[in-house]
Amino acid sequence: MATVLTTCPFCTCGCGLHLQADHGHLTGSAPSEHHPVGQGKLCARGWHAHEAPTWGPRLTRPLLRRGGEPVEVSWAEAIDAVVQGLSRILADGDPIGVLGSARATNEENFLAVKLARGALRTGNVDFCLRAGLQPLIDGVAEVTGDPWPPGRLLDLERSEFILLFEGDLAETHPRAASLVAAAVKRGARLVTVGWHQTQMSRLAARHLPVDPGAGHQVIPGLLAAVLDGGSADGAGAVAADPGLAALRAGLAGLAVGEPVREVAAWYASAARASIVVGEGALLPDEARDGAAALAMLAAVTGHLGRAGSAILILPSRGNQRGALEVGVRPDALPGGVPLDDAAVIAKLRRTWSREPSVVAGLDAEAMVAGCRGLVVVAEELPAVLRAGGGGLDALASASFVVVLDSFATATARAAHAVLPVAAFGETDGTTTSLDGRVQRVRECASPPGLARPGWQVLAELVTRFGLPCTYGSIGDLHREMTDLVPLFGEIGEGQLDESWGALVSRPATGPGVHLRTVDLGRRDPVEGPCVAVFDEAFDWGSDPSVAHAPTLCRDHVARRKLFPTGFVEMNRADADRLGVRPGWAVRLTSKHGEVTVPVVVSGEVAPGMARLPFSARDRVGVVLGGRGRAGVRVERA
Amino acid sequence: MRPANDVQGRDPGASRLLVKSDLVSWIRRLMDDAEVIAPAAGAGGDLMFGPVTDPASVWLGPGNPLQPPKQFVLPQTDPIVRIERNGGGVQVSSISDERARVIFGMRSCDARGMAYLRRMQATDLPDDSYLRRADRIAVVTLACTTPCTLGFCVCCDAGPFARDGHDVQLVDLGDRFLAEGATERGRAMVADAPFRPATQGDVVRRDELEREAERHFGDESAHLGAAMRRISTRRVAEELWEAMSPWCFECGGCNFICPTCYCFSVKDRCQDHGWERCRTWDSCQYSAFTLEASGHNPRERRKERIKRRFFHKVSAQYYQRDGAVGCVGCGRCVQTCLGTTDMPAVVAAIRKGVWHG
Repeated sequence: MATVLTTCPFCTCGCGLHLQADHGHLTGSAPSEHHPVGQGKLCARGWHAHEAPTWGPRLTRPLLRRGGEPVEVSWAEAIDAVVQGLSRILADGDPIGVLGSARATNEENFLAVKLARGALRTGNVDFCLRAGLQPLIDGVAEVTGDPWPPGRLLDLERSEFILLFEGDLAETHPRAASLVAAAVKRGARLVTVGWHQTQMSRLAARHLPVDPGAGHQVIPGLLAAVLDGGSADGAGAVAADPGLAALRAGLAGLAVGEPVREVAAWYASAARASIVVGEGALLPDEARDGAAALAMLAAVTGHLGRAGSAILILPSRGNQRGALEVGVRPDALPGGVPLDDAAVIAKLRRTWSREPSVVAGLDAEAMVAGCRGLVVVAEELPAVLRAGGGGLDALASASFVVVLDSFATATARAAHAVLPVAAFGETDGTTTSLDGRVQRVRECASPPGLARPGWQVLAELVTRFGLPCTYGSIGDLHREMTDLVPLFGEIGEGQLDESWGALVSRPATGPGVHLRTVDLGRRDPVEGPCVAVFDEAFDWGSDPSVAHAPTLCRDHVARRKLFPTGFVEMNRADADRLGVRPGWAVRLTSKHGEVTVPVVVSGEVAPGMARLPFSARDRVGVVLGGRGRAGVRVERA
Repeated sequence: MRPANDVQGRDPGASRLLVKSDLVSWIRRLMDDAEVIAPAAGAGGDLMFGPVTDPASVWLGPGNPLQPPKQFVLPQTDPIVRIERNGGGVQVSSISDERARVIFGMRSCDARGMAYLRRMQATDLPDDSYLRRADRIAVVTLACTTPCTLGFCVCCDAGPFARDGHDVQLVDLGDRFLAEGATERGRAMVADAPFRPATQGDVVRRDELEREAERHFGDESAHLGAAMRRISTRRVAEELWEAMSPWCFECGGCNFICPTCYCFSVKDRCQDHGWERCRTWDSCQYSAFTLEASGHNPRERRKERIKRRFFHKVSAQYYQRDGAVGCVGCGRCVQTCLGTTDMPAVVAAIRKGVWHG
């Protein structure tokens, strides 16, 4: 029996766990008692982390599509075909791109960047889930001047006040939810902002109801209240900011209700107060401005930069922060540094012995739609693209698609070449948690069949395109990353092993706090007797690493198996009024289109709301016309 | 508290002495015939049960691993049936694990847990797969002479000294261990050199230590008797379970680290030429635990599942059936609960009729 200490691969909280294997199979997971984040606790997913690679359909041999059918080939044959296929597209001067992934390790993602910017000489490098995260991060950064929002996950436990924009935190980030609950138990005031009842709202001192996905609605009121009420203690620190007057002017005359005023006073007067932005809390259109406004709220109350006062943006899946940090993005270089940073470009040139591509590239959606050649590292496009299954249709027009994955995904089935790589628990590497803790993941069992560690496969591809990668071990790769990714440069020798990973952050590089007017909630007005909205939380059932493990994919909660073609969640009062029972069909009609789906009656959804699962967006999305929400008419079908 | 043992009335041959300097050689001798599993400092400084490779690394100091030794009789993923393609049909064969093993340095609470599990698996429909594995495991416990941080075994009559579930109990007497053989297998394990007969003074000292240890326990406590009376006479208000439910995050940790929880699910693991049907740990706190194929779920709401768990753990009905409460007072759920619904907290709530989170 083998046991290794590794990091949970799922929700980005970054809990430590002991992974066990017996006879070459992963068989168990147990929490690490001394891990600083987990502290001997795991959520249901963490307790079943060993199942991630075990139950799903695995890729065990390289495949090349010949005559429309996938044919098993040797590694040498597969790599040759990939190099030829991509070289042809390069020779033709056609667009080519690389997709990294929140499911990949930092090392795999770094090599995806090296493949794109070094080997294929393109700025087209991205990962699909970046689209949801980047606006939130950028919004905070614009105000604070720091590349990442301030604070640590563990700050929650000691906070006196927590303002939580959800989502459904207990479902999406259970460890964060548990720290919030611990704070409440200690006497902290919790305020939830959301449009449906959740586990956390039941623990809250106050719940501020907002329209679906429209958490931003309360932010101007909170800002106005702290600025008007004189409770903006920290205003002194930002008093000189020319944006302050603009911010005040923009909020002048705003009617603020008493509950919002009270919440603002709680926030302003707490010694340590944290803001948490969960998944689906802010509509994509409002994400950047909403996050910026929250950072301004922290700035004018003096919470910004105060020890123990955090702003936590919660990425939905795995290694999103790591992917951003190592440069899986079309608009920045490794470390998130600007494309024109001469010092970093010189370093890349020296280390790679080649002029790197420093042009801004296409984002993931545009790449899938427009690149003729595409290398996909562990992305299942229908699960992570907003376009859903439409992404696969677009892929059909590409002339050469290479997929590196552990699982036989729909994306792999659409590929011209499939390279099987190791899954969680089968390879070494690092991942970065939501608050910047870089931690090891370790091999506990061998990958099945001929599958190889992803970093080795990527290194071989990069080498074949003329950039020698002579990594004898993953340690050699780390040394290169230490040199090229500023964040990794801060990780001391041995720190990954000795102190539970390295907590890394960069000092502010921007001009300090910057305030401006907020412009929220003026877009996307919704009219209709009922508001239909996507449940934006990441759908675990669509993730190939968990889709086949019942406990991990939470199918029983998501009702995915019961209603494979979609459903709508409605309040019982609405269902009664329509005369429909659970499972009966209703027709939703909006100005965009109509859809007929079965009803699920839910106590969580307020009257007048219709919640549609994001996972079924291919089927039900038409009624929302590509937006997050829409006014609809609901009838019994 | 149990009355002190009558030293005179005990079989003096059952108590033996082992000088501490002989401990490593004894473990090495046990390793000749069996796989020896013991607590040792593992990765990240976490104390964990695992197969011993170096007898000097065995940890017999204070503390108990967060993960109980349950995994060695009831692994988290346990293949029990092999299903192989055989021409047009399939061939089904059982998979059994009958390795000779010694679990060394187990604490009294965990030994009680092992006894509880064995009773459950051996009665009604005896589980052959479980018993064949468990019967090959000898248990050497170490009596707790100092209380652990979160344990409350004295409330469950499961410690600090072992009553059942062990073959040999070691009691730390300073420079030597008193070794008590509790079964025929255990007595054989301590029969030969380097063990020698214990003196009357050693046995007296052992009893003093037990009484002292019982006195010193009590930072964490669970008044299970009072809770049992209330829960068995329907004097727990439904609102109490409702109030608790947002404080549980449905992680299942309380079940997985519980030395007495045994509920399982069944999954088929795909192999090259067939499947292995595996027994896997399940949690009664998961909403899918009782989900029926029809879609109906008799315990759909979390409060119903929490209520069910504690009814099974502490009700008189199960106490009469099992002869023990379903809690050994190890205190692990206090640490591993992602929320706040651990055993002492819920027992206190049942007893007082209020929940404070």
